[in-house]
Amino acid sequence: MTRTIDPITLQVIGGALHAIAEQMGNVLYRMSYSSIIRESQDLGAGLFDLDYNTLCESDSTPMHIGSIPGYLRGIEKSIPITDWVEGDVVIHNHPYFGASHSPDIGIVMPIFYGGELVGFSANTAHHLDIGAATPGLIIDVPDVFAEGMLLNGLKLVEAGKRNDTLWRYISGNTRVPGLVMRDLEAQIASAELGVKRFCELMDTYGRATVEQASRQLMDYSEQMLRREIAKIPDGEYSAEGFMDDDGRTRGVHLPIKVTVRVTGDDVEVDLTGSSPQVPTAFNVPFEGSTKVACYFAFRALLLDTYTNTEYIPQNEGSFRPVKVTAPLGCIFNPIAPAACEARFNQIQRVVDLIIKALAPVLPDKCTAGNAACLSFASYSGVRDSGDYWVLIEVNEASMGGRPKSDGPDTIEELMRNTRNNPLEDLGMHLPVICDRYEIRDDVFPGAGEYRGGMGVVKSQRFLVPGFMTHESDRNEDTPWGIFGGHEGETAAVRMHNHEKGTAPVDVPAKFSGLRAEAGDVITYLSPGGGGYGHPLNRDPNKVLDDLLDGYITTDHARDVYGVVMKATNDGYVWGLDTEATATLRASLQPA
Amino acid sequence: MIRVGVDVGGTFTDLVMEAVRPDGTQQVFVHKVPSTPSDQSVGVVKGVIELCKIADVSPGKIDALFHGTTVATNMVIERDGSDVGMITTKGFRDILHMARHKRPHNFSLQFDVPWQSAPLIKRRNRIAVTERIMPPTGIVQTPLDRDEVERAAELFAQRGLEAVVIGFLFSFLNSDHEMQAKEIVRRVLPDAFICASSEVVNTMREYERFSTAAMNAYIGPRTARYLDNLQLRLRAAGVTAFVRMMQSNGGVSTVEQASKSPVGLLLSGPAGGVIGGRWTGEACHQNQIITIDIGGTSADISVIRDGQLTIKNPRDTEVAHMPVLVPMIDIDAIGAGGGSIAYVDSGGAFRVGPRSAGAEPGPACYGKGGTEPTVTDAQVVLGRLDPEQFLGGGLKIDPALSEAAIRAKVAEPLGLSVKDAALGILRIINNHMALAIASNSVARGIDPRGFSLMAFGGAGPLHGVALGEAIWAKNVISPLQPGITAAMGLLVTEPRYEYTRSALTILQAGDTAAFDNLGEIFDALQAEAAAQLDSDGVPATAHRFTRIAECRYVGQGFELRVEVPEGPFTSKTATAVAKAFFAVHRTEYGHAFEDQAVELVTLRVIGTARADTLRLPPLPKGGRRNPAEAALYARPTTFDDGETLDTPRFDRGKLKADDSITGPAIIVQQNSTTVIPRGYTSIVMALGDIVISRNAGGN
Repeated sequence: MTRTIDPITLQVIGGALHAIAEQMGNVLYRMSYSSIIRESQDLGAGLFDLDYNTLCESDSTPMHIGSIPGYLRGIEKSIPITDWVEGDVVIHNHPYFGASHSPDIGIVMPIFYGGELVGFSANTAHHLDIGAATPGLIIDVPDVFAEGMLLNGLKLVEAGKRNDTLWRYISGNTRVPGLVMRDLEAQIASAELGVKRFCELMDTYGRATVEQASRQLMDYSEQMLRREIAKIPDGEYSAEGFMDDDGRTRGVHLPIKVTVRVTGDDVEVDLTGSSPQVPTAFNVPFEGSTKVACYFAFRALLLDTYTNTEYIPQNEGSFRPVKVTAPLGCIFNPIAPAACEARFNQIQRVVDLIIKALAPVLPDKCTAGNAACLSFASYSGVRDSGDYWVLIEVNEASMGGRPKSDGPDTIEELMRNTRNNPLEDLGMHLPVICDRYEIRDDVFPGAGEYRGGMGVVKSQRFLVPGFMTHESDRNEDTPWGIFGGHEGETAAVRMHNHEKGTAPVDVPAKFSGLRAEAGDVITYLSPGGGGYGHPLNRDPNKVLDDLLDGYITTDHARDVYGVVMKATNDGYVWGLDTEATATLRASLQPA
Repeated sequence: MIRVGVDVGGTFTDLVMEAVRPDGTQQVFVHKVPSTPSDQSVGVVKGVIELCKIADVSPGKIDALFHGTTVATNMVIERDGSDVGMITTKGFRDILHMARHKRPHNFSLQFDVPWQSAPLIKRRNRIAVTERIMPPTGIVQTPLDRDEVERAAELFAQRGLEAVVIGFLFSFLNSDHEMQAKEIVRRVLPDAFICASSEVVNTMREYERFSTAAMNAYIGPRTARYLDNLQLRLRAAGVTAFVRMMQSNGGVSTVEQASKSPVGLLLSGPAGGVIGGRWTGEACHQNQIITIDIGGTSADISVIRDGQLTIKNPRDTEVAHMPVLVPMIDIDAIGAGGGSIAYVDSGGAFRVGPRSAGAEPGPACYGKGGTEPTVTDAQVVLGRLDPEQFLGGGLKIDPALSEAAIRAKVAEPLGLSVKDAALGILRIINNHMALAIASNSVARGIDPRGFSLMAFGGAGPLHGVALGEAIWAKNVISPLQPGITAAMGLLVTEPRYEYTRSALTILQAGDTAAFDNLGEIFDALQAEAAAQLDSDGVPATAHRFTRIAECRYVGQGFELRVEVPEGPFTSKTATAVAKAFFAVHRTEYGHAFEDQAVELVTLRVIGTARADTLRLPPLPKGGRRNPAEAALYARPTTFDDGETLDTPRFDRGKLKADDSITGPAIIVQQNSTTVIPRGYTSIVMALGDIVISRNAGGN
């Protein structure tokens, strides 16, 4: 049992596990109906052993990767491991029993091999509506019960027989049963595929070999991460920031404090000092979200898949060296029944502050301040037929400058990695129309040797009356520059009415259940990342590129970057004045 | 019937001729000449004329010339396509920059975003104009501002741009504005390559459609110039044959079609290799094959399962991380080849590729002014490439130059011996290729232990055994003409044309008029395909058509393909298509909902025709072991384990069927060199392909 598997078999089984998770993810998003799953791919899928260790997970959205073990441990409170029967399908979304947050519904199937329970096939997907107080998303609600249906480890299918009563209950308690129920079907199909493929893998290699290989693969991933942690000098590193508000009490910032303690090849993230829990849904489930964010941070920082050529399997091993501490009753470990649906902005900031804390000792691996937020917008309304329509959209932001490259513009950063909805697809099906979707042109990028990324500007217009909820942050705390780089830009949310021709008005980043009129336009402008390194060290050709591409002006180029332009007649208007630039830069160079 | 296949790679141009004489006797001739990157048609014509001399055939007698080219692909990889302008809808200037806003790596902070760091169309050349078409009907809400279009075109003219894309939102519903803008741009820039997104691929989803059109324009002018030049030079040389271009989908098309839609040529070069690989596999009785085509600049990897090419899902087709919605074989290209340059980076790390010395100056040993060491130079230094055998002695190589380059650029900076530096270059490049093979096989659950590794391209059989060992392949195949395999593949293709149109129709809710409309669209698409086959000279009796309906459940985002029978489209057809869709859905996903509405999204007609295929003459039976008749001489050769052994050379042209050669040995031929290390044995198959396996009992 404990003999070591030869390296080829190990690689083949590792590859096969990865492939199974990918196929599970593919079935889920290709077969699903709601755009949040099929286009945005806000989902995760994988296989787990009897100790709820992740054997493999689909390469979809980092937030989902690593959250499923929490679901399994939560389900155990209702379904002891001895109570699983072949053909069961369990549904679960309770945030105080391990779920990431209530709209991320988990579907779990036991895997029986030769009559014995050997593991679990499971997935999570963000559902469009679970019958919460307001359609799609919620922020300003009193408690977890206002989040909608709480499904705490319920057998949706028992030994292959569907529980039609439960099925009808769910169908009757969502605003969009036509999408939600079929998305659940897609989740079940994905889990069934995982069961089938895992059994086939055991048929091929034998149960003992597969289990041993799984253990070795987890150990391998753990060792790879530990090796990198050990290179960081032992010590305590901390960083602080704040969130705009809780979505109800305006003008009161919520502090976020991150302390990273490195001891040998172990690391602890301590969130003590962060805001106490808040009375709205702007809290973070500890098991399914806070911990997952910390796991992510160290993988991305230390085992960066772009700079590392070795393939490191995605499994439980990379979670083990990371300990997460958050005092009970703080925003990152709320006490029931506090609502905790709107948690994404806070965990983005945890990751960003971990990066900031470690930047002085990891200058080649860190970034300048990232947007580290998430604009989650829900648009909804009632059709003439009486049916609801609901759209949930994720708006992208940007990253800070990096040791060798500019921060990417208009991108899904850190814990998120969804895809946008094609505007043409939305336009064919929904009564909203996009009026503008491009790079922000009202601000300059965070200056630096490597500049910060540019944010997006997106305007969506209601064609009919409806409702809107916006979950976002970072209208007030600016992404920082680093090593001489300048800071980036905060976000903004604006509203106007297209038909009445009203002027745009700034509104808070978070608002709930707003009643929209036809012609109302919501414009979101995402934050811009901070700069990395001193702007005077930026390659003048890159400054010229930024000018020609409309990101900066000639004045900005001269004043901030010390780069002087001269007129050309090639149709591009400006070119580089190399001599004047050299002279100016020499006079500006910090001593 | 005389047919010629010409495959142009970054470094060499490979040729094969099949001549069937009036008396029925058949002969095959092959040839290889250096590519001429500044104008590849020069090398093509030179090669064709030389091949005619070898075969003693007058150029005017060639009936058909099949051509695969990496011109388009290299342009994308090396980002030296045209400067392109784009005219797009006001408010949506940056669709190409934002893409689907998903980053290419989950667990990374330092990742590159290729569509931002090396865009096909720079932001400065994307100009947004006033116009608005509204869904879901395609009505015009704001008419096109023709003056803005004209001013944009004039600016493009001043900037000297030679290609322009018109991409408006919702043009798949109504292409009127795109067509108007195209006319205006055409007037201002009569010589530019201009395409509208709805012409290139008429489907919903703006980023994917714009990206496909941008790619088309980016490679358009240079591809068209190349094809024009080629035709002119061929005519001037007396070649009157019809010319057919290898396409990414594994079929061939006319030059006119390829010039208009060069985006179909992105896998033109590698496609021939995969088809040649499958065909070689059949001759070796192997139908589970991983092909790796190693040329001078890149290596192309594909997997053949049960004798079938792997075709990509049309929603997943990307080139250089950018969506290109055209049908294509699943081929993974990496920047690793014989010309890959070895260097020590600024951080002191030893790196090889992806930059390539190409054909000019080429590896240092070519003596054409190249001073940077390449993978080929490493092979030369280790004694695996004999100067007098290289291209049959047709290209002079100088080992002293290889050694000097490796010494100066790698060995001295790293404090290594030249031999160790050369071994290091190979170890790095082989590891790079092995990882890429693994990500195309192991990572997809394919166990390479059940597969043959077919290594071809000029450099393929030099690396074959090392790669086969690294991925634990069942065995390694060195095809009869490794350097010409892709060209041979061109002679086993058939014409293949695909025509599509979006026509969203709910199958269960359609009325007679809607179904009649579908029938008419299918007929029109089929007529287009038939006209194309007619112009290829394919008799109508040989035409074959497949009608495809790409369907999904209403509300889903991904379509599945269902075949549609010929004949009028009636409610019966609709029922049959829906039923077939349920079956496909069940196969793909394990579920089907028979009570739910099915939406037909895109109609597709594929027109093909059975074509002649290449036949090689069987070799006489040998059955010998290390035949003295084929032995040339022995020379010290260094293998991957660092050992230098006196290693015999065999002349591949003198090997017969069932001959076996035991390693260490090197088998030489005009277009390639096969390395057989100690512990391996190779067997010559009936048509001359060589299968190399580990000796029984060995590791």
